[in-house]
Amino acid sequence: MFQVISRTGTPVTRLLASRGAVLVEAVRGRKSRNDPKAKSKEGRIKVPPPIDPVEMVVLKERFTEYELIMRALRLEFKEEMLRKRYEAEVGSQAEERAKQEAEEHRALMAWNDAENLRMRKVRELRIQNELEAAELKKSEEAIQAEQLLQELIRAKEREILQLQEDAKNFITLENLDQRIEEALDNPQNYNFAIDKDGRVVKRTVLE
Amino acid sequence: MPMKGRFPIRRTLEYLQKGELVLKNRVKIMSVNYNTSGELSEGARKFVFFNVPQIQYKNPWVQIVMFKNMTPSPFLKFYLDDGEQVLVDVEGKDFKHITQHVKKILGKTEEVLQMEALAKMEASNPANFGPKKYCLKECICEVEGQVPCPGTTPLPQEMTGKYRIKMAAAQD
Repeated sequence: MFQVISRTGTPVTRLLASRGAVLVEAVRGRKSRNDPKAKSKEGRIKVPPPIDPVEMVVLKERFTEYELIMRALRLEFKEEMLRKRYEAEVGSQAEERAKQEAEEHRALMAWNDAENLRMRKVRELRIQNELEAAELKKSEEAIQAEQLLQELIRAKEREILQLQEDAKNFITLENLDQRIEEALDNPQNYNFAIDKDGRVVKRTVLE
Repeated sequence: MPMKGRFPIRRTLEYLQKGELVLKNRVKIMSVNYNTSGELSEGARKFVFFNVPQIQYKNPWVQIVMFKNMTPSPFLKFYLDDGEQVLVDVEGKDFKHITQHVKKILGKTEEVLQMEALAKMEASNPANFGPKKYCLKECICEVEGQVPCPGTTPLPQEMTGKYRIKMAAAQD
């Protein structure tokens, strides 16, 4: 499943080489291309270890059997995983589960819609109340404005009446002589002192 | 300066991991429309301030979009992958109620979450050793308390194979 072997970068030739073949691949190692061979290794011919044919036959049989079994087991496990995944996604139960989920989803959406409707009703009620309150306030303000106007008119009328009253005491050209006579006859003395309560305390004599 | 912002607890991992709302796989986009002033948007504002970081942490693949002062009343809208749009009115609601509501209609249930956690645990079995992509450890030498890797520190002689063979041969 992990395929570690082929992931660690071993070349294909090594994997495919049969048992007993001489791999003439030269590995560079410490020395570079132009370095001469070591004196002790000049005439050396590399020979693979000797093989016992009987042993080889027996081993080959056993190994083929062993590898067969291992490969079969690995493939079995792989198939089990694939089947599990397939069942989880496209199995018979998955369809039922999907249907159930769709049902639940529909129910939840219906519940959500009901909630939204309720909120909408509450909101409409509230807006209506607000409108009514605003209307009321507007009418009250109109009434207040009217009242204020009326007050103003009344105050103005009072002023006019006051003025009319005062007009009786005005000095006109006709009364001029008469009023002068009166003023001269009745001298007024404003030379008086007042204490803190407003009562007259002292009067000086008019010269 | 570790503390940034008004409620820096919102930036702690602990707070983010405590988020309860895990949206279903079908939800792709979540958009929040709310107003920056007004009593009715208060719940939505708190929701955006406190809960949206948690939601984004738990659902990193969901796009969350915020719109301010575009509509008179606040709402949430979820766009599912089959084109369906789910509208949630949140006017005047408390932010906790909003989370519970969304959890009810579009959140994964406790059992589903537990099953997913179980499946994830099964996948990462600490008894398996192999490539880092599939397993937790590659070799027993990586585990604390075990013999360290002979690649870094040489093994004591008694544990090496060649010494043992030599001793066995010398004995016979």
